[in-house]
Amino acid sequence: MFPSTNLQLRRAGRGSKLKEQIIIVGMLVCSLVAILITIGIVLSLAFEAFLFFRKVPVFDFLFGLEWSPQTAIRADQVGASGKFGVLPLLTGTVLISFIAMAVATPLGLYSAVYLTEYAKPKTRNWIKPTLELLAGIPTVVYGFFAALVVAPIIRNTGSGAGFDVSSESALAAGLVMGIMLIPFISSLSDDVISAVPKAMREASYGLGATRVETITQVVLPAATVGIVGSLLLATSRAIGETMIVVMAAGLAAKLTLNPLEAVTTMTVQIVTLLTGDQEFDSAKTLAAFAIALFLFILTMGLNVIALKIVDKYKVHYA
Amino acid sequence: MPDYALNTSENTRRRHIKEVRFQWVGRIAILISLGFLALMFIAISVRGYSVFEQTHIQLDIFFDEAHLDPSGARDPEMLLIADYKPLLTTALQRRFREVQERREKRRLYKILSRGAVFALGEMVQKNPNLIGTSQRLWLPASAEVDLYMKGKVDVSLEEELRRLKNKEINWVNQLKAQGQIKKKFNTRFFTKGDSREPELSGILGAVIGSAFSLLVCFTIAFPLGLLTAIYLEDFAKKTLLTDLIEININNLAAVPSIVFGLLGLSIFLGVFHLPRSTPLVGGMVLALMTLPTIIIAARASLRSVPNTIREAALGLGASKVQTTFHHTVPLAMPGILTGTILGMAGALGETAPLLMIGMVAFIVDVPQGITDVATSLPVQIFLWADSPEKGFVERTAAAIMVLLSFLVLMNLLAVFLRKKLQRQW
Amino acid sequence: MMSIRIIAASLLSLGMVVGPSGLAAEGLSGAAVQVSNRDHIKIVGSSTVYPFSTVVAENFGRTTRFKTPIVESTGSGGGLKLFCAGLGAHYPDITNASRRIKKSEIDNCAENGVTEIIEVKIGYDGIVLANSRKNPKLEVSLRDVFQALAKNVPIGEGGLQANPHQTWADINPDLPSIKIEIMGPPPTSGTRDAFVELAMEGGCNTFPFIKALKGTDKAAYKALCHTIREDGVFIEAGENDNLIVQKLNANPDAFGVFGFSFLDQNIDTVQGALVNGVEPSFERIADGAYPVSRSLYFYVKKANIGQTPGIAEYMQEYISDKASGDEGYLADRGLIPMQPAEHDDWVDKINNLEPLTVD
Repeated sequence: MFPSTNLQLRRAGRGSKLKEQIIIVGMLVCSLVAILITIGIVLSLAFEAFLFFRKVPVFDFLFGLEWSPQTAIRADQVGASGKFGVLPLLTGTVLISFIAMAVATPLGLYSAVYLTEYAKPKTRNWIKPTLELLAGIPTVVYGFFAALVVAPIIRNTGSGAGFDVSSESALAAGLVMGIMLIPFISSLSDDVISAVPKAMREASYGLGATRVETITQVVLPAATVGIVGSLLLATSRAIGETMIVVMAAGLAAKLTLNPLEAVTTMTVQIVTLLTGDQEFDSAKTLAAFAIALFLFILTMGLNVIALKIVDKYKVHYA
Repeated sequence: MPDYALNTSENTRRRHIKEVRFQWVGRIAILISLGFLALMFIAISVRGYSVFEQTHIQLDIFFDEAHLDPSGARDPEMLLIADYKPLLTTALQRRFREVQERREKRRLYKILSRGAVFALGEMVQKNPNLIGTSQRLWLPASAEVDLYMKGKVDVSLEEELRRLKNKEINWVNQLKAQGQIKKKFNTRFFTKGDSREPELSGILGAVIGSAFSLLVCFTIAFPLGLLTAIYLEDFAKKTLLTDLIEININNLAAVPSIVFGLLGLSIFLGVFHLPRSTPLVGGMVLALMTLPTIIIAARASLRSVPNTIREAALGLGASKVQTTFHHTVPLAMPGILTGTILGMAGALGETAPLLMIGMVAFIVDVPQGITDVATSLPVQIFLWADSPEKGFVERTAAAIMVLLSFLVLMNLLAVFLRKKLQRQW
Repeated sequence: MMSIRIIAASLLSLGMVVGPSGLAAEGLSGAAVQVSNRDHIKIVGSSTVYPFSTVVAENFGRTTRFKTPIVESTGSGGGLKLFCAGLGAHYPDITNASRRIKKSEIDNCAENGVTEIIEVKIGYDGIVLANSRKNPKLEVSLRDVFQALAKNVPIGEGGLQANPHQTWADINPDLPSIKIEIMGPPPTSGTRDAFVELAMEGGCNTFPFIKALKGTDKAAYKALCHTIREDGVFIEAGENDNLIVQKLNANPDAFGVFGFSFLDQNIDTVQGALVNGVEPSFERIADGAYPVSRSLYFYVKKANIGQTPGIAEYMQEYISDKASGDEGYLADRGLIPMQPAEHDDWVDKINNLEPLTVD
């Protein structure tokens, strides 16, 4: 066994400079695929979006206050007036993401703090993976749960308390999305909090501070930058989430910040505009690509900023 | 800042209370999070468990030759198109002789599923010798009867508001009294494709569709991801290009999944004209999505292999390529596989991009290859969640249970790999 | 050894990425990609006809040697657009419609080479205005419906104003004073077309001066009668009638516009409003008393018969007595069958594969 392997190695070692070069170039080509994908995304979105902006001015799209894309599909039909203002969709997206973050941030952060600072290793060892199960559950399952269980509960309690709750409230979708985001925030901030040097903690204890004082006055301030980064990453995730909002939020494009009303999001509209319809000649279908481009830039921007922040933070404590 | 100089017992007590309170807030946060998880599992299991049993009705069926195959030739083509329904109506009439009126008879026939007809057809085609014999068979009941037997019909409701009327309930109760109706394990749910009848629908088609998609996804993403990771970790010099690649990979991981669906729609379908609604395209889209996950996991795993190993190999005269492929990669493999499995688990649960490329259609036949039209498990859940028939609510929940079990299995496998095979350096 | 295996695997994967693009390049460079022999029928179209077509498709698949047709729900308009986009295996063989094909669509078809289309009428469907059983049943006239949903409504004799009605009682004091909230289909849906033409136009015509407009300025008449308000009272709920039913259960004050079959399937939770005093029931739609009912169709490309296996047989299954007959399985699903004489007429037409003629 061993001698033959040695022989092989030697033989390979002698005459295969070229072969090795080929292998390395092959690997380089593979790694270029990642760039190729990004280029593919940008090109395909930009191309269709460009076609869209020839029909609808960019200004009307970015600053329009009305979204009513269901235009007539035949000459002899009267549809909606065809307004393509993205602001109502953005408002809806922001509203739902905000609710989600409002749910996920305290739950995720407190969980992370408890797990890193208080929990016994044994407890931590089973709670952490269990919490992460929440991230592994497919979003279609959350959607089903939101539509079937959470939305009726919210509506019933809301009407019971005398509020006018829409059947598909931003609250239901946001709440369930928040649950989905808990593990993102908790495990990202967990890493960040653990990265705060032990010396800082010990210095604080040495000065006589209690644990809570150490956490709130030493550890968390030191970790703030990293935590903000992780919150941004979670927000970017919330903005791009699709199935929960498709199944639990509505299609009503309204400029409202009332969480009890039905709102629609960018992802919902992409799905609605494109399922079934495969024609790329109407402003309606092309609009989906314009929204997607907008969504892509938005999430990408958040992500770049978040990664920059986290990187800086790492350097800080390296 | 608390005034430490004035460390009175009052002050200590307050600080202690604060400490305890803070701990409790943390515990409650965790409890709430885990509570949601439990609530979700319970809400879904409560709705879904009943699918695993299916109501069947026992009948004496006479396979009448005069009706099925008057020529006696047993031509398979003829047996395929023969009308099997009269066998059932005759049997039901013999069982309930008191039902005479035409309208009522029609209602009586509806306590059986349309699947009973298909079942008889399949039996005869498999074994033509049945013709001319009499058999006592358990045949599937209709969805409404099934729901009633599972206690999901509100009998206190006014009759006109129920799809199942008092007459039908009466017949079912008669059968029940004589042990001719019972719930049996629902094999159909695991061995058939979709159907418009809740009681006939199964998830096999969706499972196979998912499996084909994952196969395509794996064949593309694994080698591509692995080679990229190896290159970036062990070969690339830090240049502008490699920086660009790295930034790209990190950012791709955060691109919303639906955007990948649009990419698939406009490039794979729009430019390349690959067949719509197929696992081939679905798998390709999922591969692009999974690639960053695999690359990141593989790099972490390669990085954890100590440099001493590389140095030892290089010192013994191995080339750089040999060092990597003979030593580093095999040692990093458990970690790489763990990351890949987790990436695949993510791909298995993905829905939105598949909606964009048309993997959302009514498909009865179980797909036979990667270019057959198919759905996937999560898309099937989405479709069933939208179906008008009552019986599909429990099926949606049951399909979710199946999907979650697959995910749990994959995660357990990943944990196993990590625990058993991964070396601690 | 390991390296060889890894390289082989990577080559395989590259092949998978490059292979299809090579194919596509061929397709782009020359003849259109002809997926020469599709072995299953491809059906698109109306979400109202979808539940019927899928049942027929399934029966057809189980009782013949043909593969089960693939049915996708795209809305009548969306379906006809796809259907008319061209000949060949890339485009659907059949499209379902919950209204008749329009002249403009026939022209579009002809432009793309789809000249011979066979029309098959399968039966009738009522359009209902339904709400949850938790609230009382509504009794409306078409005039009320128009006033609830139109973008502009008449004021006095001949004047128009933007629709001010916020509650049902604003329209008619006999109606309940709850907020108007109606979920209905988008313009790709045939249900929307039929609803606009039957209900909205019906209500529109109760204003004499608008009715007079029809003769003088047809465009203005249409714009007035067919335009649905966009201020959030009418919510376009997509091509998913079942989702509407679920939403109605969650919000008892809301109403939904959808086909009778969905009402029939969910009769334990939702109820249909009486329109002009008539209940939306199987019998009243069949005898024509219910004012908002339309015919359902599907359209077949004659050129594809013989190309895609099973099309003729599928049509036969659909039109057979056991499917769309008086007591067929489609009636169980809420399809309202044609009278026997009319049914026989259509059977004849289909047996002769008579193409549609432009009238």
